[in-house]
Amino acid sequence: MKFIIKFITIYFVSSFVLMSSASAITVLAWPGGPAEGALKKVVDNYNKTTNNDVELLYFSRDNFFDKMLADVAAGSKEFDVMLTATYSLGKYAPFMTPINDLINDEVLSTFSQGAIDTQTYNGTVYGMPTDLSLHFLYYREDLINELLSNSSWQETYAKISKEYLGTAMKPKPADDWNWDDFVASALFFTKSINPESPVPYGTVLQMKNLLFNIMIWQGTAASYGGDWRDSDGNITIDTEAYRRGLKIYRDLFDAEATPADSLSYEYAEANAAFGSGKVAFYTQWSAAYADFIKPGEYPAIEGKFTITNQPAGDMGPKTHFHSLGLGINANSDKQDEARQFLSYLGTNEAMSMFLTEGGQPPVTAPIMNALAGDRLDMLMMADHTAKYGKVMNGGTEGGAFSVYSNMAENFTAYWAGDMELDTAIANVTEFLEAEFAK
Amino acid sequence: MNFNPRSERKEATKFLYGLCIFLAIMLGFPSLANLWFSFNEVTFHNLTGEGFAGIENYKKALENPKLWKALNYSLKFAVIATILQLTFALFMVFTLHPLLLRKPWLTAILMLPIMVSPALMGVMYRLILNEFTGIIPGYLNMIGFHVTLMSRSMIQYTVIAIEVLQWTPFAFLILLTARQSLPYELEEAAAVDGAMGIKFNFRVVLPLITPAIIIVTFIRFIDSFRVFDHIFVLTGGGPGSRTTSISIYIYKLFFQRSELGESVALSFILLVISLTLLYFGLKLIVKKE
Repeated sequence: MKFIIKFITIYFVSSFVLMSSASAITVLAWPGGPAEGALKKVVDNYNKTTNNDVELLYFSRDNFFDKMLADVAAGSKEFDVMLTATYSLGKYAPFMTPINDLINDEVLSTFSQGAIDTQTYNGTVYGMPTDLSLHFLYYREDLINELLSNSSWQETYAKISKEYLGTAMKPKPADDWNWDDFVASALFFTKSINPESPVPYGTVLQMKNLLFNIMIWQGTAASYGGDWRDSDGNITIDTEAYRRGLKIYRDLFDAEATPADSLSYEYAEANAAFGSGKVAFYTQWSAAYADFIKPGEYPAIEGKFTITNQPAGDMGPKTHFHSLGLGINANSDKQDEARQFLSYLGTNEAMSMFLTEGGQPPVTAPIMNALAGDRLDMLMMADHTAKYGKVMNGGTEGGAFSVYSNMAENFTAYWAGDMELDTAIANVTEFLEAEFAK
Repeated sequence: MNFNPRSERKEATKFLYGLCIFLAIMLGFPSLANLWFSFNEVTFHNLTGEGFAGIENYKKALENPKLWKALNYSLKFAVIATILQLTFALFMVFTLHPLLLRKPWLTAILMLPIMVSPALMGVMYRLILNEFTGIIPGYLNMIGFHVTLMSRSMIQYTVIAIEVLQWTPFAFLILLTARQSLPYELEEAAAVDGAMGIKFNFRVVLPLITPAIIIVTFIRFIDSFRVFDHIFVLTGGGPGSRTTSISIYIYKLFFQRSELGESVALSFILLVISLTLLYFGLKLIVKKE
């Protein structure tokens, strides 16, 4: 009996001591990819070096933001720190705590002001940026180099470009491509068009009815000067820039230069296609690079591929970019603990660790140059964001998510041949007018 | 012992109390809350409502042309999928019944597809049907069929095929139970009268298991009509809205367009339609019996 009483007493006392020494907060973070493992390391280090207990919580990636929205709208306190994204800041801002006062000199020596701006909505900072995302052109160096040096291939290239684009074109290095070069090369490397192509498909397009696919595609329209709105707030979808951008995908799909099931493709399927060695090049999120360079993971393309900027339009190359970050759930009872954790994330130490463990933080050049090593993607990210990065006018507002979804529905219908181009553009224009009038 | 139907029924009713309380908590409360939402202006920022909307949400829902497109798709999907599931299930009952009498454990293997969650089924088929990593395109190519099952011309058939593959076992299980409940003497009597094989199945078994067929038809129709998971995972309702079922449409209205009132009103309309269908289905069975 004595033993039982002793045991219960020890149990409760130790539980109380543990509870009082560690103020547990829960962080709802983005699952999967190298960033998940990197954040775990950073959190472990934080827990070890401070008297805190931060726990990580993950939803699955599928409809992550919908689940988070339902939770915060219902007043959930299940997580204290929540995910933020540039394109949905406006939607979540009412459920978050501003953190402008946390942006001190140390934070600004970790992140550039531009990176902080990606977590800012209407002048208020809501998140500490942890991951930067943009798009690169991933291409097979061996194939493009052969195209640049093989005269027989160049003859075929000229013939195909003449037939499909009306001009006999000469191949160029991928760094200098415009969208016509992209299309001509995609057609050239498609076996059904050029039986001598060493790969079945020139490119792989992500055309599933999914908002993230529109973010990848919109680099085409943006490179021709496309934007959602002009400076006066007028909707500018019905422009040549959008028509040209949309037609590029439709033409490539109709010519079968991308797999026939591209209409159900998103990130994973496109990576599988390129990683299988059966595709010459494609545009993809920057995160894919870290996966492709893992030794043994993609033997078909190991040592054979590299990355560069997306092809150019009249306005040069453009890429959508955004950052994911972590901010504070306004419903949380542990605001101070959450702020302390976010302050830590803003330190050089935390982000250096995050970077070396595989994350893609938008850190300043001195940190990046010191730690990125041979990670080409990391070395290019800040530069490309500054040079080519484009956030659409209205792209961080509350309705941005809905706009992307509406575009996905209408534009994929056009690509699939279910809708006329004019109708798709008119539908999106009408939607944007209604959305931004709210 | 005296048999009193009234007191028997009273006793039986007591056993239903637990279920009724469970349903009232798990379904009744959310249904009432949704009913309230559907008559109010609610947003994610104000779930308690910004004012009474009357029937505005219902009007808005019914006036949206996209609703009718989604309804049309769901209806076609449900009709085709239900017919195929029933046909295959009946065929399986007729052919496998003798075997399953001897080896009943085989039934468990046939039930495997319904044990997988539909969303997971979608994820599995994303892998299986992928042109570069999938087993099915790989095998089809090996035997000379170059078919892309997720292409724009095949996508609608593929999502129906997945539904049929997953849920035919459910229809089969219910029909098999009905078939197994038929007395063996009936089979002997039919055999004496010369009804064997196909004749026995169509002339004797089919009429006797008709109530089970009706209930399976209704359940499978309602279930297929509200299909969501595997289509959403595979196509996101696209391309465009080509595979947007009514459930996907409601989901998108709610989460992507933040039209909470309209989507909840629509859910309510569908609930009423489903209950009406089920009510008439059950009535039909009672009549038959």
